[in-house]
Amino acid sequence: MSVDPMAYETQFFGFTPQTCMLRVYIAFQDYLFEMMLVVEGVMLKKLDGIPGCKISPSQIRKCTEKFLVFMKDHFDKLFAKMEEVLLQLVLNIPKNVLLPEDRVQEEYPYSKEEFQALQDELQQLQQQCRAEAAAEQALRAELEEQKAVKAELEKILQCFDGLENICREHGAGNFKESFALLTQSSKKLQDVLKDVEEKSKKMKQHDQLL
Amino acid sequence: ADGGGGPALSAAPGRAQVFATVVDTFLEKLVAAGSYQRFVNCYRCFYKLQPQLTRSIYDQFISQLQASIKEEIQEVKNEGNLEGLFSSLDKIVEEAKDREEPAWRPSGIPEEDVRSTMVPYFLKHRSYLRRALREKEEENRKVAEAVLMGRDRIAELQQLIQARQQAWQ
Repeated sequence: MSVDPMAYETQFFGFTPQTCMLRVYIAFQDYLFEMMLVVEGVMLKKLDGIPGCKISPSQIRKCTEKFLVFMKDHFDKLFAKMEEVLLQLVLNIPKNVLLPEDRVQEEYPYSKEEFQALQDELQQLQQQCRAEAAAEQALRAELEEQKAVKAELEKILQCFDGLENICREHGAGNFKESFALLTQSSKKLQDVLKDVEEKSKKMKQHDQLL
Repeated sequence: ADGGGGPALSAAPGRAQVFATVVDTFLEKLVAAGSYQRFVNCYRCFYKLQPQLTRSIYDQFISQLQASIKEEIQEVKNEGNLEGLFSSLDKIVEEAKDREEPAWRPSGIPEEDVRSTMVPYFLKHRSYLRRALREKEEENRKVAEAVLMGRDRIAELQQLIQARQQAWQ
């Protein structure tokens, strides 16, 4: 006969039903023996007080044993029946019953693979979130840079516009042209200067060689 | 007082009541077996000497035995909060009465069993992440648009400046 470990019942009650029954059995048995000893003790004491008593303690002991054997036999049979009923009807959880604390087991029956897939999906989502956060940082950084660059460019544009306004105010419509001519001639001058410098260098080298 | 006066008119008695009945029956039958006749039979020599004392000893023995047994039962009930557990279990069983298939039972392997307990948290976390990702992507799309517009504007400004430069050449 295989012994049912009654693990689910243990989970619910907080103790193993069979252990509980055993504890109770031992306790009851102890009380029975105790009472019998008390009975015997009372009788022996009484007999002690009777002078010339023909009943010996060992006789009383035999009486006690006789009664005890009889009681123990009935006790065991009756207790066995009680234990059977309790284990079947009271301290048991029927096979079709799921404890409330285990409801998730039937609501989310995930296999190992399904569970792993869920974990992988979570990891992937977290990575994607991190990537989006990095992208956000980069985008906002560029936005900041753009702000600074735009400000600079707009300043330069303002400068130019300012110059034009001055020209218009002072009626120097040709100022632009003359300024442009000036830049051109100063450039020409610079070129000429460079030419002269090079030529003089060459002459000096010639002189040195000579 | 009858301990079975519960509110429900259930056909079957609750676990607490079965428990009480079974224990009472046990005691009854035990006391019946250890009858006074039987007691006297065993202690005949003493009975002949002291019949009245025998009766009183027996009465005390039986009542003390019953009291001890009932006390032990009460202690077990208190320690394990059995009354409460019995009525909870009765309710749980009643709720499952229309269900025929065997229910889930622990597999004995903790790693297997813990999976299902974690799934609801993971699912919640997943829907949170999905929403956060969607929101962030949407936000970034808008910022990217602004960045592109900014680049266009800068290019535009650079062109305007170049045009001015050339006009002043």
